[in-house]
Amino acid sequence: MKTDIQHLNDCARQIRKDVVEMVYRSKDGHPSPSFSAADIIAALYFHIMRVDPKNPLWEERDRFVLSKGHACPALYAALARRGFFPPEELTTLRFLHSNLQGHPYQPKTRGLDATTGSLGNGVSVALGIALAGRIRKKEYQVYAITGDGELGEGLIWESAMAASHHKVSNLTVFIDNNNYQSGGTIEEISGTYPIDEKWHSFGWHVQSIDGHDISQILEAVDNAHQVSDRPSVIIAKTIKGYGLSYMIGDNSWHKRVYTDEEYAQAMEELGGKA
Amino acid sequence: MKKVVDSTRVGFRDGLIELAEKREDIVFVSTDSLKVVKGEPFLEKWPDKVIELGISEQNGVGVCSGLASSGLIPYICTYAGFLTMRACEQMRTFVAYPKLKVRFVGANGGLHGGNREGVSHQFIEDIGLLRTIPGFSILCPADGEQVRKAIVASVDIAGPVYIRIGSGKEEKVFGSDQPFPLGKIRVMQDNGNKVALFAHGFVLNRVLKAAEILAEKGIGAKVVEVATVKPLDREGIKDILAQTGCAVTIEDHTIIGGLGSAIAEVIAEESPAVLARLGLQDTYGESGFPEELLDAYGMSVENIVACAESVIRKKEKQRQ
Repeated sequence: MKTDIQHLNDCARQIRKDVVEMVYRSKDGHPSPSFSAADIIAALYFHIMRVDPKNPLWEERDRFVLSKGHACPALYAALARRGFFPPEELTTLRFLHSNLQGHPYQPKTRGLDATTGSLGNGVSVALGIALAGRIRKKEYQVYAITGDGELGEGLIWESAMAASHHKVSNLTVFIDNNNYQSGGTIEEISGTYPIDEKWHSFGWHVQSIDGHDISQILEAVDNAHQVSDRPSVIIAKTIKGYGLSYMIGDNSWHKRVYTDEEYAQAMEELGGKA
Repeated sequence: MKKVVDSTRVGFRDGLIELAEKREDIVFVSTDSLKVVKGEPFLEKWPDKVIELGISEQNGVGVCSGLASSGLIPYICTYAGFLTMRACEQMRTFVAYPKLKVRFVGANGGLHGGNREGVSHQFIEDIGLLRTIPGFSILCPADGEQVRKAIVASVDIAGPVYIRIGSGKEEKVFGSDQPFPLGKIRVMQDNGNKVALFAHGFVLNRVLKAAEILAEKGIGAKVVEVATVKPLDREGIKDILAQTGCAVTIEDHTIIGGLGSAIAEVIAEESPAVLARLGLQDTYGESGFPEELLDAYGMSVENIVACAESVIRKKEKQRQ
C-alpha cells in the first residue's frame, strides 16, 4: 500500500488537537514536549508498528517506550485514535481514578507497553523488551523516544553501551532533539552536543532527520530495519511546540495550561477534522 | 559443635538451576556478578538465558523491567546496596509500581555479609529501604539450603521479590529436610513463655545459643525465625507476643526500618509488649571478621542473653 503521507500528517494534527484539549480540560500537563514528538508518534502508531487494538497484549506486537514520559498526552491521543480506548476518555488525564496517569503507567492504560516518567530510564526498559524478543524468538521491533535533555542521565549511556555490546538490532531509539529542557536550551543547561558523535562512539547506527517530516521518519525507520548488527538511533531535529504558532520559541509551554483565548486560537490553527 | 559452611550464594545459583530445569521463562541478569555467585554452571547450560550487562545496576534493573513485561522472569543478583540503593528508583518505579515479576538477590547482606570489605560493601539498610516500597516481598533466609528453597518458592510470588544473601561463608542453620516457610514465622525453639527472640538470617545460630544459655538459667525463651519480612506474618507474631509479653529482635541490619521496626509496629498497633532491638544502632560497621563484627556491634550471644533478661525484668516490673 502506498504510504499516505497526508493521512499521517492529519493523524499528527489530530494528536496535537487532542493534546490541547486534554491539557485545557485537565488544567495540567506538558503541551510543547508532546507537540515535538507528535509526528514520530503518529508515524509509529498509524503506519510503522504492528499492533492490534483489539488485543493490546498480543505477544507478536511491536512495542513502544516513551522515555520522555511527560509527553504522554501525545501518546494517549495516538492510542485513543488508534482504537485502544475511546477518545472521550482523553480528557480524564491526571484526574483521580483516571486510566490516564500524569506519566505513563502500563497496567492502567490499554495499549501502553511500558511504565515511564522519570527521565533516563526508557532505553534501558526498551533494551530489556528487545532482549526478551531475542530470547523468546519473537520477531517484534522495539521503538523508544527519549528527550535530548534526558541524555544527561548516566543510565542512558549504560543502556546504550549494553545495547550495542549485545548487537540488539530490533531496537530503534528516536531522540526528540527539540533543543530545550525544562530550564532552558541544551547549550545553556547541559552541553550535550554533539549528540550524533556520542552515539556513534557507543556503537550505534546513527541517522539525523527532520522530526516533523513524516517521509523522513518513515525512511529512517526503513533504514534502521536494514541494520542487523547493532541498534539504531534516529536523531530527530524537532521544534518544541511545533504546529502552534505561539508555542514555538516559548519554553514556558514545557508545562503550562491554555487560557480560553489560547485554546480557541489553537483549535483555529490546528483546524482540520475533529 | 563443628560449624558447617552452607553458602547462600551457591544456594541462589542452585535454586536458579533447579528452576531453569523446569521452566523456559527463567533468565539470569548479571551486572558482572555471575562469578560472585559461582554462576558458571548456569552459563554453561543456558548461555542464551544469561544476560551480562557489565557493571551497571540501574541498567540491570531497567532491563529486568523490560524482560519481565515481555514474558520472562528475570533473577538479578549483585551486591545488595548496588541494587537497593543505586538502583532503588528503578526497583520502585519500573518494577514494583507496574507489579512486574523481577527477583532481586542482594549479596553481602549485613556486617556478616560484607565483613572485611568494610562499609561500602556491608549493606545494613536493604530491608528497611525496600519495606517502604509498596508491593515488594522481602525474604531473608538463614543458610544456603534455605536460600535455594526460597529461590524456588519465589518464582510463583506475584510482583517483585527481594531475597537477601551473604558472602558465601554462612553456617548451616537448618536440616536439609526443613522447608522454607514462605510467608510464615517459624518457631525454632520453644523453651517457654518468658521471652520471644525474633531473628532472621545469619545470626540465627547465635540466637539459638543464647536461648540455650537462658534455658540453663531456667529462663524459657522462644526462638522465632521471621524469614519473610514482607508481607509480615502479623497473626503469627501477635500469637507469640500474647504468650511472652516481651521480645528481643536480632538482625544484622540497622534497627531502623528492618525486622525490629516491623515487630515494633505489630507491638504498637496490636499486641503490647516490652521490646529491645539488637542490630546496628544507627551507626555504620567497619572491616572485620564476620563473627567478631556481630559481637562488636551488639549481637553477641552474651548481649542477646542480657537483653532478654532485661526485657523480662521490665515486663515483670510493669505487671507489678
